[in-house]
Amino acid sequence: MSACLNAKVLANELVGPDVYLLRLAAGPIAAAARPGQFVMLRVAPGDEPLLARPFSVHGVEGEDVLILFQVRGRGTALLSQAAPGAKLVMWGPLGRGFELEAKRPALVAGGMGIAPLGFVARKLEDKGILFHLSSGGATQEAIEGLEKKLGTSLRGRLECRATDIHRLFHAAQEAAELSTSTAPVSGICTSTTMDGSYGEKGPVTLLLKNLLSLPPELRPDAVLACGPLPMLKAVAAMCAEKNVPCQVSLEAPMACGVGACLGCVLPAAGGGYVRVCQEGPVMDAAALDWGRIGA
Amino acid sequence: MSAPRMAVSAGGLGLKNPVLAASGTFGYGQEYAPYLDPGAIGGLVTKGLSLRPRPGNPPPRIVETAGGMLNAIGLANLGLDEFLETKLPWLARQQTAVVVNLYGESQEEFAELAARLSQAPGVAALELNVSCPNVKAGGMAFGCDPGAVGRVTRAAVAAAGQVPVWVKLTPNVADPTPMALAAAEAGAAAVCLINTLLGLAIDAQRRRPVLANVVGGLSGPAIKPVGLRMVWQAARALRQSHPQVDVVGIGGIMSGVDAAEYLIAGARAVQVGTANFARPGAAGRVAAELEAFCREQGLADVSELVGALKC
Repeated sequence: MSACLNAKVLANELVGPDVYLLRLAAGPIAAAARPGQFVMLRVAPGDEPLLARPFSVHGVEGEDVLILFQVRGRGTALLSQAAPGAKLVMWGPLGRGFELEAKRPALVAGGMGIAPLGFVARKLEDKGILFHLSSGGATQEAIEGLEKKLGTSLRGRLECRATDIHRLFHAAQEAAELSTSTAPVSGICTSTTMDGSYGEKGPVTLLLKNLLSLPPELRPDAVLACGPLPMLKAVAAMCAEKNVPCQVSLEAPMACGVGACLGCVLPAAGGGYVRVCQEGPVMDAAALDWGRIGA
Repeated sequence: MSAPRMAVSAGGLGLKNPVLAASGTFGYGQEYAPYLDPGAIGGLVTKGLSLRPRPGNPPPRIVETAGGMLNAIGLANLGLDEFLETKLPWLARQQTAVVVNLYGESQEEFAELAARLSQAPGVAALELNVSCPNVKAGGMAFGCDPGAVGRVTRAAVAAAGQVPVWVKLTPNVADPTPMALAAAEAGAAAVCLINTLLGLAIDAQRRRPVLANVVGGLSGPAIKPVGLRMVWQAARALRQSHPQVDVVGIGGIMSGVDAAEYLIAGARAVQVGTANFARPGAAGRVAAELEAFCREQGLADVSELVGALKC
């Protein structure tokens, strides 16, 4: 059940260039939230700016809701200034989250796309499912900190490999081998940057291409992706070609978050539109008409 | 002192209070059920309904602006049959007045919608949308021509039988009075104003409009002064010639005091729109704040505010 409440800011920490991790006290929302769902959050007390902003839930810890956000415009700039003790109107959890039934899930994060996938990673860890995270960004500075932060939020280890992922996915013996050292491995992370300063040089889809080229028994049996639309479009096409089910977490300008304003639509396969807030934000990539989505 | 009387008679309906949720901002009611019991407000107006389903405009459809937002949804809706089957039964069970906003591309379509909806159990009133700025046929094209407003209203009133017909007017005219009078003359029980103001948002870096539809309708607190002015104009004219026709005020209402201002300008009831997006349940809060305002003012009846503007 969704709720609307005054959420108290507990912490608002700079964790990367213009990237903040916001912790809010919101028991009813924390209790109900599932990975991939989102909340609507007013970025400041009072009526300005007029509209709340949608944020995917980055995680829940006890009665706290975690939101990872980057300063992009006026709303997020205001939110970055929210001090502990401030109360912000928030409603949620909203929308549909990820299906987490896969045995060999590959998470693909483009930049801030890591926000909902952090919650996914922790839930997969709880379920005992080893995951692969491909993380891409503009520069080392943009993504390394986020990966490390995600790693520290896991109970087990996030085994980060800058390159050479070809052999590194989900063979059971390999997982066991990795686990012989200190903490058990919960996931494997590989990275790309557009400037080559960290990991492989190029878009994050490079890593996915490698993963999808693995022999069928090692290949991911589900891809869970979040990032800019052009990236998601490329991911959807690659998965479709290999017949690997692909779930994408979508973003769109949104006024209400509850299905009333009809502002957040994207073109649906078979014509018409789907609402990101209701049919999404996580959707089967095949449910969208990517041909009508500009890249 | 005793609680002020909040129940009003407006547009041919008895409402438990004068605050309704505006069309297009409250979905089909159920979307907001986790946040607001519709029974807490005087009524709700459903998303504009057409005979057949409409997919609406391509995205981007909305953008926030200073003190408001622009939208170009394009009257996306599920069509009459689906509405009657899947949405109306829930709405009809709520303890509030259900007003169905409808839109046709021709006079005949308005009449057909009015005829079928007026027979459906649970529909308290109809609101004709002759003012949508985001569609090519009908919409605002009708709403800027008093002759067309009169014809469409007359056809819908004849088809609707005993069910009151409200007419939602556009602010995209110099003076809404001729349209208000034409609707009144044709048998409308109320005129509702204002709909959104036609606007444009530009992305300077890309030299592109922000909305795929290029233009959109401006709503939110930024438009309240325009709404108040037009309600005042329309109410003043109707008081002279058609005192039985009520004005329903819409435009930028965020608080109970905003609602009171509309009543003072001459509205019998108000609709809360964009505020519902900004905070789910806003319409309920406006109703509660309006009651608190009446109490503070020592009023016995909220209707004492109606047309109380001293000038």
